[in-house]
Amino acid sequence: MTRARVLKSRHRSARLGALPLTSMIDVVFLLLIFFLVTANFAQDERKLPATLQTEGGGVRSSDLQPQIVYIRVQDEGAVFVIGDVVVSDARSLEALLMNLPKEPGVAIKSDPDVPISAIAAALQAARNAGFVKRSYVPSDGT
Amino acid sequence: MSRRGNQSRHMISVDLTSMIDVVFQLIIFFMFTSQFGELRRTEIDLPHQPGDETKVRREPAMIIDLTNDGTYLVESAQASLIEIERLVRAGVLGQDASDPFDVLIRPDRHASAVYLDRLLLRLSNTGVQRWKLATVNPRGGS
Repeated sequence: MTRARVLKSRHRSARLGALPLTSMIDVVFLLLIFFLVTANFAQDERKLPATLQTEGGGVRSSDLQPQIVYIRVQDEGAVFVIGDVVVSDARSLEALLMNLPKEPGVAIKSDPDVPISAIAAALQAARNAGFVKRSYVPSDGT
Repeated sequence: MSRRGNQSRHMISVDLTSMIDVVFQLIIFFMFTSQFGELRRTEIDLPHQPGDETKVRREPAMIIDLTNDGTYLVESAQASLIEIERLVRAGVLGQDASDPFDVLIRPDRHASAVYLDRLLLRLSNTGVQRWKLATVNPRGGS
């Protein structure tokens, strides 16, 4: 490297070094701390839409009566009942619902002591089975 | 004087470029991954279901959290069923007929159905016809 080039390089680095970086680094670190504190690494939330139907009325999209999935607690676990058929897991419920006509829709009812995860599983099974009309019938406790 | 000159030359020799690069990379990462909308949501163990994968751009008009012990939270503040009914009624009145009032319920998966039923019965009294159940994708993907 020639002497002239070395001098030029030194001159350039001296010029760059003269930039006041302290305040910028302060701001950058503040931003970094802010994002570290506020960042939320929670899992991605999804939604299961349903209509709301009450015992006395509510949403009725057709004259056809929806098929009713009844959820109750049996042997400390939730079971799904359609007519006389009882299934204990969501996959079996989905397989069962697949064979049913889709036009009337499906209504889900549950016992008061059933965990909400079982209701979500039933709504998911109905959705996966191809039911567009999915409703939940809240029990009034009577 | 010559001592000060030596010190400043020593300061100049510190190369901050790579550190600033790393810091900016981290800032960009946190800017993309943080979800500011989630900040107001309470941490709840949601039902593990993939949900409806259809992306809905519209945000729900109201988000109600339901904890394991049956406490209802609106915007992270505890609310009674009467207060929720009053809030929803006001929301329904202010809503367009073409744009139905949309309620998202974020329940704890272990909570009993009775708490959900009580809430939904109140919602049905106010004229809410559609609701969504928040779930979390068990596979964790988006």
